[in-house]
Amino acid sequence: MNGEATAPSPTRPPAASRFVAFSPSRVWTLATATVTQLVRMKILVFLLVFAAVVVAAGFVFPVMNPEQQLKLLKDVSFGALQIFAIVIAIVSTALLLPRDLEDRTLYTILSKPVPRVEYLIGKLLGVLLLIGGGLFVMDAVLSAVLWMRQNMVLDAAIHSLEHENKATPENIAAQTAAVAKQGLTWALHAGVLAIFLKAAVVSALALLISCFASTTLFTIVTTFCLAIVGHGQQMLREYFFHGFSAVGEKAASSALAIICPDLGVFDIVENIIKGAQPSGADLLHMTFMALLYVVGYVAVAHLVFVEKEL
Amino acid sequence: MPPSASTSAVSVENLTKVFKGHLGRKSFVAVRELSFTVAAGEVYGLIGPNGSGKSTTMKVVLGLLAADEGRTQIFGRDSTTVQSRQDVGFLPENPYFYKHLTGMETLLFYGRLCGLGGGRLRARAREMLALTGLEDAAERRVGGYSKGMLQRIGLAQALIHEPRLLVLDEPTAGVDPAGSRKIRDLIIEFKQRGITVLVTSHLLEQLQEVCDRVGIMSHGRMVREGRLDELIAVENQTEIVLEEASPELLARIRALVAAEGGGSRVLQMGNPRTTLERLFLKATDDTSSDAP
Repeated sequence: MNGEATAPSPTRPPAASRFVAFSPSRVWTLATATVTQLVRMKILVFLLVFAAVVVAAGFVFPVMNPEQQLKLLKDVSFGALQIFAIVIAIVSTALLLPRDLEDRTLYTILSKPVPRVEYLIGKLLGVLLLIGGGLFVMDAVLSAVLWMRQNMVLDAAIHSLEHENKATPENIAAQTAAVAKQGLTWALHAGVLAIFLKAAVVSALALLISCFASTTLFTIVTTFCLAIVGHGQQMLREYFFHGFSAVGEKAASSALAIICPDLGVFDIVENIIKGAQPSGADLLHMTFMALLYVVGYVAVAHLVFVEKEL
Repeated sequence: MPPSASTSAVSVENLTKVFKGHLGRKSFVAVRELSFTVAAGEVYGLIGPNGSGKSTTMKVVLGLLAADEGRTQIFGRDSTTVQSRQDVGFLPENPYFYKHLTGMETLLFYGRLCGLGGGRLRARAREMLALTGLEDAAERRVGGYSKGMLQRIGLAQALIHEPRLLVLDEPTAGVDPAGSRKIRDLIIEFKQRGITVLVTSHLLEQLQEVCDRVGIMSHGRMVREGRLDELIAVENQTEIVLEEASPELLARIRALVAAEGGGSRVLQMGNPRTTLERLFLKATDDTSSDAP
């Protein structure tokens, strides 16, 4: 070993003045390390699978009518987007904290001047960056394929009208409008945003559960169960709280929504695939609800984690 | 309490740590009314059998566990505060780091957590890689490191922010004698630099070579504590080591002691023995120097 390295100075002043109670830079360091970790675990191979699925869905069923072809492409693509986001949100978040604890990496991190809340936020941010980046790439692939397919379908439809001698301006305009409704619109990006927000809520929930769970499997199974229940909250409310008084029903619904996130709030994708356009107010409401859940779950996770015996 | 120049590096006062039992299991008292201090600049060895409470004590000192009673301080700051960890570097027993990061990336990661950055951090990381002999492995992923290399990258990350206190939990666990000797040499070097070291190890002979003071723990209590040379000295015996002494000289010494009377007697006379570790290191050094 080389003993020529410069000696640390034991006489330097204590580092107290340099300490910052909450440092976005430390959070970012933890987040980027988490992204690197997940990327090098080859989690994003899913993106290649997605690209293949989108291309296949776009070009394999040419016998359907134009609207059906585009709708099928969106159906398959959004299904893959949702699976990607939810699976990564649950599995990668559930793995992070127990693995750091098992490998004792957590000891070396928390024995540095790193508050536990920064560790939690950094890990969550890392997962969200990965999901956000993945969704962004998938959105771009979907948009490109949909745009190409939309133009091809429209050309074919117009060609067909011309062949049948029905290519009047009105017919062409009607066909163009019908294809455009099922084609690339900004609403598709809003749908991707909704998927991201839902994944963020599920990630925060998985993080909270992993703070007190003793095994990764428990975290994954419990989060999956809660995510399923979260999708069916409307149904649960109607079934179980039907006979309650107005106040009782509201209280019971609120309690249910706190224990288990109401993921139905983010389910706008199906309508978007059918050609609906979400309003700005809808998007704001979704974003607000997602923030509320994420902040709430992280706050509770911190309360649990700060008391955790490592 | 604001830290001062005369403050102990580590102060443990009446520490008791109980692991509570769950689902009908009994509680377990890991550490009972433990008190000791580590002065700035000294190497303090905490030794004891498995389960004696050494690692628990270290974790409380580092704020990873909360004390049930008593308190621990680092350079005058309560261990429960994050701020107290600014001046501490920690190497846990059998450490693993993010396998996907290279040695250099690992040091940059820990350096950034300590508020370092830019060229200063890179220079410091290179310096630590050189200090721990890992320059050639800097761009290799940590997942491919040997046990000894993991311990050394662990030491490098512990030192990255120039801490005044190093806490080493079994730093030589699972490392071969040569690697173990390197780590021992590093501890001696840290001491020369004025860094305080709190260390546990099962290799008592190595601790004996580096520690100024030791504390012996058993069943969560401190059973002996003090300066090493005082603790291990046998006060009513004297050791004389002679070189090239003839049998006649030895016989005259025996006769002289016998003639002196008053309870003085020669207990043992013979060739002092080297240790198995020294023999191993000499043999492997000789072999490596013979190699082409």
